[in-house]
Amino acid sequence: MADESRDGSAAGHGYSSDTASIPTSILEIDHVYDALGHTRRRYLCYTLLEDTEWTLDELARKIAAWEHDIPTDDVTDQQAEQMYVSLSHAHVPKLVDDGILTFEESTEGITAGQNAQQVLTALEGMGASLDSTQEAHARGERDD
Amino acid sequence: MTEGSTAGDGDVLPDADEDWTQAAQRHYDPEVEELTTAIIFTIADAAGVDPGEVKSPPLYECIDAPALENTFFGPNVVDVSRRGTGLVRFQYNHFLVTVRSDGWIRVFEPAEASSPG
Repeated sequence: MADESRDGSAAGHGYSSDTASIPTSILEIDHVYDALGHTRRRYLCYTLLEDTEWTLDELARKIAAWEHDIPTDDVTDQQAEQMYVSLSHAHVPKLVDDGILTFEESTEGITAGQNAQQVLTALEGMGASLDSTQEAHARGERDD
Repeated sequence: MTEGSTAGDGDVLPDADEDWTQAAQRHYDPEVEELTTAIIFTIADAAGVDPGEVKSPPLYECIDAPALENTFFGPNVVDVSRRGTGLVRFQYNHFLVTVRSDGWIRVFEPAEASSPG
């Protein structure tokens, strides 16, 4: 990272080159990029901006709608099932691993984890306008 | 963990020490789906259930499917790997799963489950 001071201050977590000052509860930056390194995981993180509690099924339909660029009501059961499998077997467990989401197996409820805010801050700080359509979806600015 | 069942060694047989019966197969197309999804759909087919009912454990806890997807089917290797014979196998519950670099996913179950053996 060439311009550390700018990114560090924008993130608002007191990042600096002095790694000793970073609490252990804060993810290393590699994990942040890894978490956000896939479209579906960015969608998942964006949804946390809109609401803090979801079920896996709700998220599967919502994210399938975004990917296919159709209203949520038009998502077919097959599209929803494919997304449900992808989220439940790959992306949600990965984000749970990094403390970004929590997943309650019995209810399939998803909430923000202890590291969620750090990732959301990074997401907004890294020029999320590139993903502005996704972000608008996630913030509920689209009728669907 | 499922260590001991992940090696390939160019061996295309699922397991020399045990009798396995193929229960389902599916050809994976990296352009239309994730490998994770394709594997779970094949397992569901073998188990005779809807893919959404294959819940536990998450495949994430068995194998790094995105890494495998990149290794076998990434944009830089796909033409080479399709001609090769790379094979990864792992266990998912009582199923044995193999993924070949030519795109074939196969799911096996112990032979005694379906025949008097």
